[in-house]
Amino acid sequence: MKTRHLIATAMLMSTMLVGAAAQAKSLVYCSEGSPENFTPAMNTTGTSLDAARPVYNKLVQFTPGTTTVEPGLAEKYDISADGKVITFHLRKGVKFHSGVNGFTPTRDLTAEDVIWSFERQSKPDHPYAKVSAGAYDYFNDMGMPDLLASIAKGADDLTVVMTLKEPNAPIMANLAMDFATIQSAEYADFLMKKGTPEQFDQIPVGTGPFIFVDYQKDAVIRFKANPDYWGGKPKVDDLIYAITPDATARYAKMKANECQIMVAPNPADLAAMGKDGDIQLLQQAGLNVGYLSMNAMKAPFDKVEVRQAINMAIDKAAILKEVYQGAGQPAKNPLPPTIWSYDDSTVDYTYDPVKAKEMLTKAGVTSLDTDLWWMPVQRPYNPNAKRMAEMMQSDLEKVGIHAKLVSYEWGEYRKRLQAGEHQMGLLGWTGDNGDPDNFLFLLSCKADGTPAGQNIAKWCNKDFDAKLLEARKITDQAARSKIYAEMQAIFKKEAPWMTIAHSTVFEPVRKEVSGYKVSPLGAHEFQNVDVAE
Amino acid sequence: MIKFLLKRAALTLPTFVALMFVTFTMIRLVPGDPIEVRRGERGISPERLAELRHDMGLDQPIWKQFFDYVWALLHGDFGTSIVSKTPITTEFFTLFPATLELGLCAMLFAVLIGVPAGVIAAAKRGSFYDQSMMGIALVGYSMPIFWWGLILILFMSNTLHLTPVSGRVDLIKFFYKPITGFALIDSVLSGQKGAFLDVLRHLILPTIVLGTVPLGVVARMTRSSMLEVLEEDYVRTAKAKGLTKFRVIGYHALRNALIPVVTVIGLQIGSLLAGTVLTETIFSWPGVGHWLVQSIGRRDYPALQGGIMLIASMVIVVNFLIDMLYGLINPRIRHGR
Repeated sequence: MKTRHLIATAMLMSTMLVGAAAQAKSLVYCSEGSPENFTPAMNTTGTSLDAARPVYNKLVQFTPGTTTVEPGLAEKYDISADGKVITFHLRKGVKFHSGVNGFTPTRDLTAEDVIWSFERQSKPDHPYAKVSAGAYDYFNDMGMPDLLASIAKGADDLTVVMTLKEPNAPIMANLAMDFATIQSAEYADFLMKKGTPEQFDQIPVGTGPFIFVDYQKDAVIRFKANPDYWGGKPKVDDLIYAITPDATARYAKMKANECQIMVAPNPADLAAMGKDGDIQLLQQAGLNVGYLSMNAMKAPFDKVEVRQAINMAIDKAAILKEVYQGAGQPAKNPLPPTIWSYDDSTVDYTYDPVKAKEMLTKAGVTSLDTDLWWMPVQRPYNPNAKRMAEMMQSDLEKVGIHAKLVSYEWGEYRKRLQAGEHQMGLLGWTGDNGDPDNFLFLLSCKADGTPAGQNIAKWCNKDFDAKLLEARKITDQAARSKIYAEMQAIFKKEAPWMTIAHSTVFEPVRKEVSGYKVSPLGAHEFQNVDVAE
Repeated sequence: MIKFLLKRAALTLPTFVALMFVTFTMIRLVPGDPIEVRRGERGISPERLAELRHDMGLDQPIWKQFFDYVWALLHGDFGTSIVSKTPITTEFFTLFPATLELGLCAMLFAVLIGVPAGVIAAAKRGSFYDQSMMGIALVGYSMPIFWWGLILILFMSNTLHLTPVSGRVDLIKFFYKPITGFALIDSVLSGQKGAFLDVLRHLILPTIVLGTVPLGVVARMTRSSMLEVLEEDYVRTAKAKGLTKFRVIGYHALRNALIPVVTVIGLQIGSLLAGTVLTETIFSWPGVGHWLVQSIGRRDYPALQGGIMLIASMVIVVNFLIDMLYGLINPRIRHGR
């Protein structure tokens, strides 16, 4: 009798175990839209980069939830004494996904794949350079064409030697960005022989934690866990992106447990989400800055006293309260506080309209008709530019500055700012890689002393520019930090911008979800995420 | 008849030409450049902008761009999306079945409820039922789609848990590759148990939301048309013959009253397409409405031109066929009298 009991219990247990094993664990992420394609080198939007990220790896990567660079496909790297040669040592036995689009890799990752991935972006005669009308915006924006002298195989198949034209400290942070994703040269060759090279950017094959399964435009993207992933098999079996364009519908899906993680919540829903027992509202200080730039090439903003006075004339605290509704912190530096080298000792201008008026009078400005531009779109660093501009207009009026509010269609707005048509204009920046250079370059000028494209304050300071270049050539972080602190001091004194706020990023996830980290860079990564049954 | 056919076909041609011109110019009147609009605060150098504009042919004189576009269209080439680099026809016909499926369901919903509601309201003219039914129809006709969709989601999905929030099928339980693009058909073809019913459940809310406005129109039109017909001599004769009320209304009156209703249903197709834009956005429905709106935001000229041309062509062809049908039914139209 006892034996029969034991057998029955064992059978029941084994059935339960088999049942549990058979039931795949799925994670549904409510994304915002369809990707443009699945090749990160050709994309700039978060939606497209998020869609390809599960499939791929880079030589180095950001530790999830941080901007710290850690080894990726390269298990280590050496930088030569002159800072110009970087030798990457690739991991051994890294497998490309097999069985996707009829492709079965015959070899593991080698230097050939790394070289192929960079040369597609750098060499116009590369066989894939023009496939999918390739435009490699990030590669160009990060200055790679001017920086990269060559990339070649090293001593063996697992060694890559990257040679730079000049030392560049931010390069490792740049290489952790999505444009530096490593793709399969063998898969590219396979498709080229098949006569369908454009499929390379539509049906991705990589080395990442998830294998691409299917994509239906505006509906769904499916991935399955990569059992051979060099970083360990992900905790969920199926990763599903449910494309849900409307933020309110995404929240409703979260509530109904139709998805467990969602992108971009509606600011108006945050309070309700915070009180919802089924949802964890994760938050992190955003890697961004919203600012008001003053065109230093136009009088009277060419006078430092005027710029300083405007910093004092605007009530920043009121803007934080009204526009950001508590989801932001006042900005005193051009860098967000989450970035290393942030100088917390900087003293911000205090709101003092009386003193501001005195300073303006002293600078010869008793009454001024000017313009104040506001962006027509909501951005992570500025949830409501129009309201912000109205509040600023009202504050400025009190010190005798009559600002006319101006706006244009978003593309046109940015173009006109770049051309310097404005006197005062709102804009901001979201960091790409967590390096201070990626923020401070916004205020840089060219060698001929004219403002670079991103510098809409049109403010040039030789000392500031020299320090920016100097810091790029030093690899020691402490030494770089010191230089960046000096640059922040110059910035504060010169006041080409009025720094307004660093917004807080919110990400709601279901209570069943564990291991999810909010990325300060706005990335959504799922390899360490688990879902409780 | 052949002469009539040729005359109608000849009239369709200028419509196509005008359409090509209007879609081409209207889109270019919207401020913003397809390249700059995607760059955001990153901006772009004038040199790089010129290079990319050249690659896309946007640096050509506008008249040349137009003639290139027309020439390509005459060869059946609707262009390639600036954003996804996919041929417009591929994108359009991948998404169009979803829009068509939803549109047909919404129309079916409007007719199946609107016609009986209108008939009963006419038969019980002036009653409480009539008053309330027409009041509801008026509310339905004036319903803002976005608001209505969100209210239904909050009530039906989040509060009562009766329907799924959005999408076309439960993504965890079912996975099949679309064959026809019609979820109802594909779910059956997939052979997965329960898939068809799940697709039906997903169709409930978007169908109600998209069908509400046409439902109001159909119900009101049916009522007024029925009231007119019920006053006709032949109805009185039928009643005098001692036919049952059901037979008089359901057989004699309804058939004649439906003619203007059918015309109104045809006219509703245009507003239905407009409604899909919002319905598809709220319910994550992968159709052409949402795709076109996204294309405006991205200034994806080829997608917008091609998408609008394809939709408009379908409307023109359907209208042409309806004209033919009228011609067959009514000789007075055919002979131009």
